[in-house]
Amino acid sequence: MSDSKDAPGIAAADLSACGGVDHEGGVPARRRVLRAVDIEKSFHRGIPPFRRSIPVLKRASIEIHAGELVGLVGENGSGKSTLMQIVVGLLKRDDGLIERPGRLGYCPQVPMVWDKLTIAEHFELFAQAYGLGREVAKQSEESLLEELQFTRYRDFRVEELSGGTRQKLNLALALMHDPELLLLDEPYAGFDWETYLRFWEMSERRREEGMGILIVSHLLAEQERLTRVYSLVDGKATST
Amino acid sequence: MSGLTRVSGSFLREQVRAPLNVVLLIAIPVFFVLIFASVLGEFAAALGGDLAEQAATSISAGWAAAFLCGTLAFFALASSRGADRRLALAGLGAWRVVLSRITASLLLGVIVSLVAYLTLLLRSGVEHPLHAAAAIFAFAAIYTGIGALIGALVRDPLSGSLLVVLIFSLDIFSGPAMTSNASLANFTPTRPASNLLIAAGGGQGSPSGDWIGAFGIAAAGIAIALAAFWLTARKRA
Repeated sequence: MSDSKDAPGIAAADLSACGGVDHEGGVPARRRVLRAVDIEKSFHRGIPPFRRSIPVLKRASIEIHAGELVGLVGENGSGKSTLMQIVVGLLKRDDGLIERPGRLGYCPQVPMVWDKLTIAEHFELFAQAYGLGREVAKQSEESLLEELQFTRYRDFRVEELSGGTRQKLNLALALMHDPELLLLDEPYAGFDWETYLRFWEMSERRREEGMGILIVSHLLAEQERLTRVYSLVDGKATST
Repeated sequence: MSGLTRVSGSFLREQVRAPLNVVLLIAIPVFFVLIFASVLGEFAAALGGDLAEQAATSISAGWAAAFLCGTLAFFALASSRGADRRLALAGLGAWRVVLSRITASLLLGVIVSLVAYLTLLLRSGVEHPLHAAAAIFAFAAIYTGIGALIGALVRDPLSGSLLVVLIFSLDIFSGPAMTSNASLANFTPTRPASNLLIAAGGGQGSPSGDWIGAFGIAAAGIAIALAAFWLTARKRA
């Protein structure tokens, strides 16, 4: 894994191409799947000379290893989603270094899906994007539909689904290629209690299988399930 | 079926799947050619222009294609911004998303142009059918670019759709033979395509300048649409 600091705007390093095994005191440690160091981000509003900058992230750093289930908490507007979007590549950072694996799953806070397409068509499009073969894609789709219990909606359009079922699709699309690193932004919004519990069971099972998972939330009630929690305050992330 | 065809097919289905959209794809060309054309002639007379009835009917088919393609391209981009970016980031890549979007938009442009062309053919007949078909598709391509560009730059659906309608209205009412002030028409994006369509409807040929102008601006419209789709789907890191 490269520890050089790349310039803003340069694509983040791909951990899968860098080996990515840490050794602490001669004992092989778990492989690091995310390293975000000194991330800075400000948003700019208005036009000159009335332009003002709103700093959101001030040298925020987080790190996740394979088999860890990590929380990222903070108040509304603290920059949790901004940090996650920077890690994913949806937002450009002003400064800092990011190293992440090539196989990454991202579940955005608001489902990013097409209203007029069916659940099956979404799976087909994302299988294409992830480069999954026909059989693997079919198996993955069936297993996720079953696991999240929404098989009966497979041929429904997104616009016909409830908020909770949309969120299930949103989550399933992030999981279908079995990513090394899973980034979840408020993933259980709209879930009923049963689905909420199933979500945590799914996350723990995947963590045990070696997936690195980062869950962003303004409120994490299930802290005992987490390896550790980062708290984002005043633009900085501190681990607890 | 290749990956590009499959993704383009999904994007096209997404646009034509709403039953109301399909109805409007037929109703708008019919409205423009049968009703709007006569109103356009009256407006032209009020503004000091000399748009003949046959010319107004022909050009209305182009405006129908322009209106539909402009609004469809705007809403395609405005409503799918997040999902397109997610798909690109998931591994499809921005350029494959862009190529799929432009393929779907141009296919939609062909469908819209065909409906507008058939309506014109049934309403009044066309002396130079191939010229008219090419000119109507040029309208569609130009407004696909305008709609996509506004979709990429303006996030609010209401503001964006109003902007598309404003540009469309300015374009119509400063078009050829619409006003006594001919200099205005020189700056509208559809001027060469309008000249082609008016000439085709009246059974006249067109100078090469209009052909070059119409295809040049249509190609620019497609290039602008490509840039707009890329702006939306590109990675930010």
